[in-house]
This record gives sequence, structure tokens and C-alpha cells, in this order.
Amino acid sequence: MNLVLWLSPILVPLTVGAVLTLRPGRGTSWLLAAAPAPALLLAVIGPVLPAPELPWLLLEPRLALDGVGRVLLALTALVWIVAGVYARSEAEQRGGYADWWLLSLTGNIGLLLSDDILTFYTAFVVMTLAAYGLVVHTRTVAARRAGRVYLVLGVAGETLLLAGLLLAATDAAGLRMNDIAAAVAGSANRDVIVGLLLAGFGIKAGVIGLHIWLPLAHPAAPFAASAVLSGAMIKAGLVGWLRLLPIGEVALPGWSQLLVALGLATAVLGVAIGLTQRSPKVLLAYSSVSQMGFITLLVGVALAAPEVAPVVAAAAAVYALHHGIAKAVLFLAVGLLPRTGAGWRRNALLGGVVAAGLALAGAPLSSGAFAKAWMKQAIDLALPGGNLTRLASLAAVGTTLLMVRLLGLLLRTQPTPESSTAGGDRSRAAARLAPWASLVVAMFALAPLAAPALLPVLAPPTASSLLREALWPVVVGVLLAAGAALVQRRIGVRVPEVWPGDLVVLGERVVAGTARGLRAAAPPIATAFSRATAGPQAAALALGRTDEGIDRLEDRLTRWRTGGAMVALVAIAVTAALLLPDLTGR
Amino acid sequence: MPELDLNTALPVLLLLTSLVPAAVIFLLAEEQERPRRIVNMAGALAKVALTGVLIAGVLRGAEYEWRRALLPGIDLVLRVDPIPLLFVTLSSLLWLTTTMYAIGYLEQGERRSRFFGFFSLCVTATIGIALAGNLVTFLLFYELLTIATYPLVVHKGDRKALIGGRAYLLYSVTGGAVLLVGIAWLHALAGPVEFLDYVPLAGLVDAHATSLTWIFVLLVAGLGVKTAVVPLHGWLPKAMVAPAPVSSLLHAVAVVKAGAYGIVRVVYDLYGLALAQELQLLTPLLVLAAVTIVYGSLRALAQDDLKRRLAYSTVSQLSYIVLGVGIASLAGVTGGLVHLIHQGIQKVTLFYCAGNLSKQLGVTRISQMRGVGRRMPLTMGAFTVAALGMIGIPPTAGFVTKWHLGLGGLQAGQGWVIWILLLSSVLNAAYFLPVIGRIWFLRPEGEEAGAPTMERDHERDPWLVLPAVATGVSVLVVGLLAGAPLSPLNWAASIAGEVVGS
Repeated sequence: MNLVLWLSPILVPLTVGAVLTLRPGRGTSWLLAAAPAPALLLAVIGPVLPAPELPWLLLEPRLALDGVGRVLLALTALVWIVAGVYARSEAEQRGGYADWWLLSLTGNIGLLLSDDILTFYTAFVVMTLAAYGLVVHTRTVAARRAGRVYLVLGVAGETLLLAGLLLAATDAAGLRMNDIAAAVAGSANRDVIVGLLLAGFGIKAGVIGLHIWLPLAHPAAPFAASAVLSGAMIKAGLVGWLRLLPIGEVALPGWSQLLVALGLATAVLGVAIGLTQRSPKVLLAYSSVSQMGFITLLVGVALAAPEVAPVVAAAAAVYALHHGIAKAVLFLAVGLLPRTGAGWRRNALLGGVVAAGLALAGAPLSSGAFAKAWMKQAIDLALPGGNLTRLASLAAVGTTLLMVRLLGLLLRTQPTPESSTAGGDRSRAAARLAPWASLVVAMFALAPLAAPALLPVLAPPTASSLLREALWPVVVGVLLAAGAALVQRRIGVRVPEVWPGDLVVLGERVVAGTARGLRAAAPPIATAFSRATAGPQAAALALGRTDEGIDRLEDRLTRWRTGGAMVALVAIAVTAALLLPDLTGR
Repeated sequence: MPELDLNTALPVLLLLTSLVPAAVIFLLAEEQERPRRIVNMAGALAKVALTGVLIAGVLRGAEYEWRRALLPGIDLVLRVDPIPLLFVTLSSLLWLTTTMYAIGYLEQGERRSRFFGFFSLCVTATIGIALAGNLVTFLLFYELLTIATYPLVVHKGDRKALIGGRAYLLYSVTGGAVLLVGIAWLHALAGPVEFLDYVPLAGLVDAHATSLTWIFVLLVAGLGVKTAVVPLHGWLPKAMVAPAPVSSLLHAVAVVKAGAYGIVRVVYDLYGLALAQELQLLTPLLVLAAVTIVYGSLRALAQDDLKRRLAYSTVSQLSYIVLGVGIASLAGVTGGLVHLIHQGIQKVTLFYCAGNLSKQLGVTRISQMRGVGRRMPLTMGAFTVAALGMIGIPPTAGFVTKWHLGLGGLQAGQGWVIWILLLSSVLNAAYFLPVIGRIWFLRPEGEEAGAPTMERDHERDPWLVLPAVATGVSVLVVGLLAGAPLSPLNWAASIAGEVVGS
């Protein structure tokens, strides 16, 4: 029985994948939404049964689920279930989409359940590679480009990660997550390993500088896939950090400060770049980057104070739960808006956007208010007397601005013509919104429910503290947004859009600009420059030229004459060797 | 014949299961397709069955040895030791799938009698190499392999094939001669030496350390030619003009693997790990392997011809085995030995698929592979799994290898090895992932947007599809069930325990 309970979250999605490959179509595509159900069941009833041991599989996979794991598993299953409903149409249109979807799901759930690094790494890699199929699904030029950037960074991240895991495993007592974290704490290569793990998972978590794939890939995918990418899969980096960094084992002040600084920078820059965006999906992707900044910051705080690290980790999990659901609500709403006619359904969607936006900004009584209150308590516990919490409140002002901007963009979107004609079937359209609406409800309920269970040591926030702490950033944000709108109407300044995928584009533009400048100034250098930087094709060409040279060399070696000479020489050596016994006297 | 005890006869019987088919096939006329098929498949199945008997016997603790005097003082010895058994198992299983594949591939082809005759001889030689109990027996079969493979490489008979065959022959004959020098020198110094008998060599360390080092260099150089170690690899990319079944066998079990297997035996069973360490022979070997791994991958990156890219990938992947040989730690030895199996099943799958592509769709270049996944989903699924294995993506077999080699390198104090492994993984990803992307995510050439999918009638022939799918699935199974009792990993680990312990 416990084998069924523990393995079905992984095996059911794989089985559904097989079914949908053999029998695609309307009749079976609802299975997409059912596939994550066993995971939700396991998360809800929790580890009442011990995890089974499977010594014959892979390299002895271990499964486990602690409090943090349960919260993240619940989030993951919930987001995948609801998004699965909206992934049906894509899956029906093109074979293969369901496979990538379900493989990503399997990996995402597997990495939450695994308790040894090999299973964890396997699940992590499967998720990363399979999600490529989601990113490039539309096959547009933008999606392809996003897919390329995504894959390059994904492979880079996995390689860094594997290096870190190998180094850590050498000194470890076993391959369980705890063994590895302990080994990292005591390793002679501690800083190298921590650096590798931070970077490897940082790519997935979208830490600033490593985030460049995220604003390209998340919006490029179909909207249901964006919801799972930004709501669930992005949290894999957090899981890796919490499980494998020596959090709770040893204080690493240097790394802690670096992570806190990076987290703050990510939170601020994510908002700043997001504000300039004109596409709602890109804006949401930057908002994800910014929100992951808070989580990165919490991991940094946990690294500073081993004794309270579990509390900080739990606060990070609660924050991840809140952000994951809110972000899924937003991405789904953005996708559903153009597909929904005018009228009450449109207003309902916009209402959901306002609610989720307020939650992200941490408005009183929203899930965000709870998550932020716990986050601040945890920070105060770990780093008493710091002003990190105040900075976090300031960042909430930015989030408010970002959400107002999103609403402004969404108000301008028009329903596509076919959706308004198809919207005649009212009951069906209402049923279509029901899963999304239930996610909105879950957004309000889950974080306040999960947090006290996970954080018994912290006092639940009082109503007055919620009001005092949570209200002003939202009010200030709204006022600022109103002011900005007023100024814009009067003066008509237009803030230029920062290119989505900022640093990638910046790199491309710098290269192109330099090439232009050089062409004007020094043509010969320009040719060399463009050859050196024209991307993979040029590299392959250059390699091909060397290749031909080497080929010619190898050809020469295999001519009869050269070969004959070689054989003759060796024959002489053989003769000498055969004479050797006479010479040595044996 | 003296008394026919099963324990002495089994190694010879194992040889005969392919030698007898070879003789029969040469005698059959070209158009006797059915009898030839039956003889081929019967031989291959018999070999697999006998291997099963061997494994069961060895698990019971039985010993199998066959010995006849060849020259005064030199015996012809066939013996089933742990490492040979591993290699025999790989060879007989992959011979079965490849025979099947060859039957499908060469249907209505020319000169099938000659082809299958030499094909069987080639496998006979491989089994002989596997079971050889001393260097002389090894050399005998090693040279037989060279000769038996040449007609297969030049099978097509056109100019390109002849050039490829010439390169193969020149390199192999030279390598064989170098090997002979090494063996002669060793016999001059130590008298007849058998594998797994470390006493004669250990006694010579004090007086003849330099000679032993030079002999080692000669042996490895001779074997390195077939292993395609840089700079002795030049023949391999040229020999890929051979028909797909030959390339499969050549790259996975027979020729290149015979070289790698020879290096494994020289280090583990002739010199022994302790002596090799004492003479400081392992680090140079490690460097050689590292250079080959990176060089092969870099060259593979620049190839557009699919089989050429696979050939350079072989150059790189084979040296994973040599790398494992150079790492003197439990995990390192395990990683090297298990890659004998893993590289075999992965590469054989890739070549089957490449063959299917060229036979069914006429596709031989990577640039023509747009959207072929939709036209040949089974074959390309197998290709994808095997290519992911080459990169070392879990849960495929290749990851198991990579993990153990990396861990072994760190345990042996050779931490730089992991950077080589990771660099190679990235390069492998760079030359396999775009191919996989092309297969699945690009629209086939000439197909309009939104047009119905092209016909998928290219996977009718089970003789061609079944072997590729079977070996492709095995890449996954071997990785997923690495912890199972009889998995290649556990097998390799138990051998590694003996090697490191001795």
C-alpha cells in the first residue's frame, strides 16, 4: 500500500503519457489534469506510511517528505492540476505536447519526493529537458530563440550542479540529501561546492545575472505551460538550495551576504525591468524573477544563522507556496482573457488579477500578507536588528507598481473575435473558468493554513500588525502609480521598453554595435571580429576549416607509401625484438 | 580428441557457435537466403544460450579452461575469467541483435554470402580475444579479427570503401606488429606469462623496471590503434564507409572494443593495478584518455555526416574506458568496466538508427534530419535515448558511467578528471542535443505548415526496427535498474573489488 502511495505520484504521470501517446484526442486529454492528483493526495495525507525502499532501482532511490516538502508538493500538484485543464487544447492539437508536459510533471514531482542526490538529479534533469518541449511548442521564431537560450543555460546549470554533487559525494557518508549537506559543511572544497550549487540552482531560480533565460522562456510557452513554469518548476532551485546547502549545519557569513545582496538586487531589478514591459506575459516573468529574489534572500539569511535555519527555510517554503499559486492565477488569467468574451467573465478574470496582484504586493488579509509577515519574523529571528525587513517592504511598493501596470496592460487587451462568438455557450464558458476560480480561492486559503503548521515557533501575525505592516506599501504603490499615470498624461514621457531577455539582447547588440563601429573604422579587424562573434554557425565553420586541415593530414598518413614505411619500420623492430633473447642471453 | 569434459569444452563450443556458421555460410550459394538466415540466427541464439550456461556455471563457482600446446613452452589458452565473461556476454547479445539487423539491412543486397561468412568469422575472433588466457592467444585472435573485418569494411567495393579499408588495414597491421614486438619482448624477459598470474612480472620489477615500462608502452600503443586513441585514431572515421551493421559491430563490440578490452586486460590482468601504479604507468594513460575524449568530441562537433559524427563520438567515448583504467580506485575501475557494456549498447543503437535513416529515407547527413521523428518515431526514439546516454543524462546507462568515473577520479586524488568529464558532457550535449531538436521539433522538409503529417510507413520491417528498439530500451533499463543484482554495474563493481584488492 505504501508502495502505491509513494510511487503513484511518479508512475501515474508516466502512464498517462503512454495513454495519451497511444490514444490522443478529446476523450483522453482530461487525464492531463488528473495526472498530478496522486501527488496532491500524498501531500495532503502526508507521510503517514513510511517511504518504501527500492534497492534494485537506479542506485537505490530514497524517497522522503518533510514539512517543507509537503507544502511545495501541494503547491506543485495544485498548479499542475489546474494548468492541466487549460493545456488540453494544445495537447489535442499537436502530438508530443502531452508527453513533454507529463515528463516535466514527473520530474517536478520526483525532485520533491527524492531524498538522495542521484534520484533528485535525475528528476531535475528530466524536468529541465522535457520543459524545452513546452517552451518551443509554438515553433515561432521567438519561441525557438527562447528555447535555445533556455537549453544552453539548462545544460550549463546541470553541469555545474553535477560537479558540485560529485565533489560533495566524495566525502559523504551516503548519498542521502542530509549526508550530502553534512559533507558540504565539512568538505575541504566547501566554498567551491557551495559556489557550484548556488550557480547551478541559481539558474533555475532566476537569480539576477543567471535569469536571462527566464523572461524569454516563460512567456514563449503556451499560457498553461507558463503557469507551471513560473508557478511550480521555478521552485526547483529553492528545493535544491534548501536540501543540499549546509543550511543548519554551519554558518557561512560570506555566502550569506552574497545571497542576500543578490536576492535584493534580483527583487529590485526584476521590478524595474518588468515595469518597462509592454507584454503582460513578459512583465509577469520579470515579476517571477523579482519574487524569487525574496526567496533567494531568505536562503541567504538561513545560511547566516544555522540555529534558526529550519524556521527560515519554512518561511521560504510558505513564501514559495503563496507566490506559486498567485503567479499561476495571473498567468492563467492573462492567457484566458483574450479567449473570453466581454461581460461578467472578463470582469471575473480581471477581479482575479486584482486579487492575485494585491496578494503579491502583500495587501492585508491576502496570502501575501501572511507570507511576508512570516518572512519578516524569520528574518528578525535570524538577523536581529537588521533593516532587511524594511528593504523588503520597500520592494513591496515596487511589486504594487508592477501589478498596477499589469492591470493597465490587461485592460487594453481585446477579446479575439472568435472567442466572443464562441462564448455563446454560457454554461460551458463558466465551467471553463471554474478550475481557475478554485485556484483563486486556494490562493487565499492555503498560505494562512499551511504556515502555522509549518512554523509553530512563530506567533501568527495579528490583525493590527498585518494592517500596519502590509497596508502602507500597497497604498504608496497605488499612489505612485496614479502619480505616474498623471504625469504621463500631462507630459507624455514614454519609458523605453527594456528588451525582454535583457542581458542576452544586450550581448547581441554590443556585438552588433562593435561590428558596425569596426566596419567604419577598421575593416580588416571588423572581418575578424564578425567571424569570431557570429555565433555558433561561425564557430562550427571555423572548426570545420581546422577539421579539413586535420583530415588532409590524416589522409597523408593513410597513403600506401606512408603506411608501407610504417609497416617496414615496425617489421625491423620485430626482428630486433626476436633477436633480443640472443642478446640478453636467455 | 581427449576426454570431452563440459568444463573444458565450453569455451571452444562458444567459438564454434560462430565458426561453424561461418564455414556453412561460405559454402552456401548466394541465393540460398533462407538457409543462411536460419544458420545465422541459430548460431547467434546458440551463443547467447551458451553464455547463459557459462554465467550460471560461474555463479556456481565452476571454472572453465581449455588448453593445448601451441609451440614449445607456449600454450593456446581459452579461459573464462570475470572480465572475459563480461565481454563475452556483451558480444553474444549484441551479435544476436546485429545479425538480425544485418539480415534486414542487406535484404536484396549483393555479396551476402561473403558478408555473413566474414561477419561470423569476425565474431569468432572477438570471442577468442575475450577468452584468451595469455597474450599469444590474444594476439592470434587479434590478427584474425583484423583480417576478417577487412572484407566487411570494403563491402561496398567502391573507391571510398577501398580507401577506408586501406586506412583500416595499414593502421591495424602496424598496430598488430607493435603489439607483437611488445609480446615478444615480454616473453624474452619473463617467459610465458598468463593473465591473472602476477608473479612473473612482479619478480622483475627491481631488475627490469625500465623494460617493463617500455613493454607496457608498446602493448598499449599496439592496442591503442584499435582503441582509436589520439593520435592513432585516423582510420576509424574513414572505416565508417562500411555498411551500417558492420559499423554497429565495429564500434560497439568487435574492433574498437577489442582494443579497449586489451588495454583493460593488460593493466588489470597482466601487470595488475598495483604494479602499474608502482611503475607510474597510469597517469600517462589518464592524460592520453583525457586528450582523446576532448579531441574526439571537438571533431564530432564539426561533422555533418551522421556516421562520421558518430565515429568521432566513438573515439571520445572509448577513451572513457581507458580513463577508467587509469583511475586506480574502486569507483574508477567500476566506471571503466561498466562502460565496456554501456558504450556498446549505446553506440550500437545509434548506428542501427543511422542505418535505418539512410536505408528507409536516404538520410545520411544531420542537415537532412529535420522532423524525421514523425516519420520514424520508434527508431528516432531509440536514437534519442542512446544519444542522451552518450551525453550522460540520467537515468540512462551513460550517467551511471559518468558518475562512477567522476567519483573514482576524486577518490583516487585525480580531481581534474571530473572537469574533463563535464567538458565532454557539455561537448556531447552540443553535438547531440541539436540533432535531437532537429529530429523532433523541426518540420520535415517540403512539408507545408498545417499540412497532414507525412506517411509513417518507414518502420514496417521488424528486422530493422526491433534491434534498434531493443538496444535503445536496454540503455534505459540498464540505467534505471543499475542497482539490480545482475546489472552490468553490480557485475563491474564486483570485478572492480577483485582488481583493486589484488
